[in-house]
Amino acid sequence: MNDSVSAGAHARGMRGDHVAGAVLMAFSALVAWENRSYPLGSLASPGPGSVPLMLALILGGLGLLIIVRGAASPLLNSIEWSEARRGFVLLLACGVATFVLERIGYRLSMIALLVFMLGVVERKKPLPTALVSIGFAYGSYFMFATLLKVQLPLGPWGL
Amino acid sequence: MKNGLACVLLALTAAAASAQDVYPSRPISMIVPFPPGGVADITGRPTAAALEKVLKQPVTINNRPGAGGKVGNAAVANAKPDGYTIMMALSSVSVLPEADKLFDLKPAYTLDQLAPVALISADPVILVVHPSVPAKTLPELVALARQKQGQLSFSTSGVYGALHLPMEMFLHALNLKMRAVHSTGGGPAITMVLGGHVDMTVGGPAAITAQVNAGKLRPVVGWGARRHEAFPNVPTFKELGYDIEYYIWAGMFAPKATPEPVMRVLRDATRKAVEDPDFRTSMARVNSPVQYLDAPEFAKYWAADAKRLAEVVRVIGRVEEQK
Amino acid sequence: MDGVFGNLMLGFSVAMQPSVLAYAFAGCVIGTLVGMLPGLGPLAGISLLLPATFGLDPIVAIVLLAGVYYGAMYGGSTTSILMRIPGEAASVMTCIDGYAMTQRGRAGPALAIAAIGSFVAGTFSVVALMLLAPTLATFALRFGPPEYTALLTMGLLVLSYMSGGSMLKTLAMAAVGLLLGMVGIDAMSGYTRFSYGMTELADGVGIVPVAVGLFGLSEILMTAGQASPPPVQQPTLRQLIPSAEEMRLSIGPITRGSVVGFLIGIIPGAAHIISSFVSYGMERRISNHPERFGNGAIEGVAGPESANNAAATGAFVPMLALGVPTGPITAVMLAAIMVHGIAPGPMLITEQPQLFWGFVASMYVGNVVLLVLNLPLVGIFVNLLRIPYSYLYPAILCFCVLGVYSVGNSVVDVWIMLAMGGVGYVLRKFHFDLAPVALGLVLSPLLELSVRQSLAMSGGSYGIFLDRPIAITMFGAAFVLILLALKPLIFKGKDWRHDVGLDEPAAE
Repeated sequence: MNDSVSAGAHARGMRGDHVAGAVLMAFSALVAWENRSYPLGSLASPGPGSVPLMLALILGGLGLLIIVRGAASPLLNSIEWSEARRGFVLLLACGVATFVLERIGYRLSMIALLVFMLGVVERKKPLPTALVSIGFAYGSYFMFATLLKVQLPLGPWGL
Repeated sequence: MKNGLACVLLALTAAAASAQDVYPSRPISMIVPFPPGGVADITGRPTAAALEKVLKQPVTINNRPGAGGKVGNAAVANAKPDGYTIMMALSSVSVLPEADKLFDLKPAYTLDQLAPVALISADPVILVVHPSVPAKTLPELVALARQKQGQLSFSTSGVYGALHLPMEMFLHALNLKMRAVHSTGGGPAITMVLGGHVDMTVGGPAAITAQVNAGKLRPVVGWGARRHEAFPNVPTFKELGYDIEYYIWAGMFAPKATPEPVMRVLRDATRKAVEDPDFRTSMARVNSPVQYLDAPEFAKYWAADAKRLAEVVRVIGRVEEQK
Repeated sequence: MDGVFGNLMLGFSVAMQPSVLAYAFAGCVIGTLVGMLPGLGPLAGISLLLPATFGLDPIVAIVLLAGVYYGAMYGGSTTSILMRIPGEAASVMTCIDGYAMTQRGRAGPALAIAAIGSFVAGTFSVVALMLLAPTLATFALRFGPPEYTALLTMGLLVLSYMSGGSMLKTLAMAAVGLLLGMVGIDAMSGYTRFSYGMTELADGVGIVPVAVGLFGLSEILMTAGQASPPPVQQPTLRQLIPSAEEMRLSIGPITRGSVVGFLIGIIPGAAHIISSFVSYGMERRISNHPERFGNGAIEGVAGPESANNAAATGAFVPMLALGVPTGPITAVMLAAIMVHGIAPGPMLITEQPQLFWGFVASMYVGNVVLLVLNLPLVGIFVNLLRIPYSYLYPAILCFCVLGVYSVGNSVVDVWIMLAMGGVGYVLRKFHFDLAPVALGLVLSPLLELSVRQSLAMSGGSYGIFLDRPIAITMFGAAFVLILLALKPLIFKGKDWRHDVGLDEPAAE
């Protein structure tokens, strides 16, 4: 962390902290705006809107300070996003699995997710992919749903 | 490959469809909209066990806690009405849509999405005070409240919660003012009185018996139509001349459109289940006597209760805007 | 003293029966398994097992549940240390230094110290529980909303010692966490805040999905995407055992963690979650080398792990001595004995001596069982790291989905976890520390509620915070701590941050 600080300290341009601070300020503004429908109450009897508003103001202030003092932070361009693509794909795959979890059942969605991650993302051979996927789905189901009575979704085909 | 899969899926769907001839032909899921260990859960489990014996199919408990029961209630209200999803709900089932209305929220479910199957138990609640509160009877307590001009305080299980509504009924009927300290459950509400941080709260018999016997809480008055067996010396509002009644009840529900034949099977099974000796013992152990009512009577009881509670919620209004 | 000894013998005569012992053992094993599943902590563990205990003898039931409870507490730390996935809120702090130790090839010692710390803390707390339960319980009852406010305010101060990075960013992350805690039904007014029509959000954003997402998922996203996978570790036997130096460093944190955790634990309510945060902050504050924290300091594992176990046992004090369910876990435990027709109350200890002393004795037994069970298991768990990462991480992701889903049978929780994973990944890229988010999320609903409850009690007068001896003492202590924290700002950068080059860049 310190290396990047000193390396980028003298170059000109947009800093990481400028962006981060701005996003935090925008977030705090959004919260304050959404908060307007909740009554603020009085000092003696604070309403449901009072604490969120206070926090939003604090966060906005902190965001501003982060921007002001952000000149020495790493350049925005210096932040590496090399793993972002694969990370996004993984997150998306999990999202799809979550979407179908209660629709097709736990075991089917886990098999699908594992087949995708092992077979497509990691390019494993079909046999280990199939073995691990099916083994994991059934093994974990047996362990947690059958033995420990964790309630897992079954889907229309009982899987 | 794709064709094969389609064939398997088709076969499975067909199998599932043909299996539905006689109800019940597969396990039934009883949704309990509260976490394990709560009143609904402790009532639901023995009921499910007794139903299993009658229906000869497993009845599994499915806890779907959240938002004071709203999540589970809504799940059943919107479930497929095939009799394979039923629910053990508490009296709060009628209050939640009303509170939603109060805050202009789109209700998560409405009462006409649910069909009552049977009432299982109904417990009147009891007002308990910290022993340091000088008032021993209701008239003394009322006098004290008037003299203190709204400085007495009570704790609740949460605003519009099961232990808030009876208190508001009482305050409204006698035109009293007190400070409401809301908490996040029955346990914290009682703890607050035990520590002397507030003067009083409302509790179900099971929750307060041991504390009362140990002299840590003093019962003053009850909300039942008759005196509670465990507290023969505690008068009720009714006998003191106030028309206030309130029970925390547990009842079984199914989604509204559940076909009549299925409903009949469920009702018959429940009638037999509540006679089951094991069921009776389990319920007696948790100090919650069985108050069985079949669907028609329960529907009437429910309608009256829901109307009463909706009225209370409207009277309370938005607490934020009272002052 | 004789009475205690005689009673304890009675307790052991109950707890050492082979059948009871077997249930204690089974409970620990099941608990460890459940706890290892990310998201499933002690509460989920005992909730799952509760129905199975209805048919058992009440003593056996409570022994089994206590075993599950202990096991799950420990199981949670295993995944925190090995995979940076907090099993539950209490192990968030363990993640940070525990996982850093794993990356340096010291997973074995971290797991062993966690087990030893849990054992010491558990045993210490049982002794305190046994000797002082009624006295402590009476004291604990004096904690009303104003005292709670003071306690939680002190909890907030931990923030200043929590992270090695920029103070501004730490505070900003805490504010984000506190704001997240605002989602859901406001207990005082009934308003449902920031839920956007989703009923599932009415109870607020759970700490489990947030913690699993921010810590576990973000780590996977960062590592899995790298061109070369992290090297597979081949731990040798020597690497499994803590070195003499590591043992020496752990003694202090374990002792302090046990005492602090127990004291926080006995207070009714949900504050015991903060015990591990407080312990971590404290260890870092008094350490001579605070810069080691965050990079695999054994103290950062020993302290919080001991504290959360001590707090867990402490929570039984008001439950057993007063019969009041002070939190969700004790509520389930009380339900387990209620279904057997035993009414929990202040007379429980005198009316049911067998139950109370049997329970106390079985906690001793449970602690020993857990240690005996887990020290050998360290060797097995560490070998999980031999699995190539390309197979390991898909399985971990699936476990995260499974665990977070089953906490409340809710897909919404899984969505929250995924969203937090993405947010955590981006925030880490911008050098934000994430632990303050977790602390903020845990604190804000409690803090807001207790402030407003206090004002409701006093009819709107802030004097209530100054009238009460416990509250005013704690506020006083908090004030002194703030002054100490401000000192370096006033006297120009003589903070340890400065000494170790961690000072905010712009301040130079």
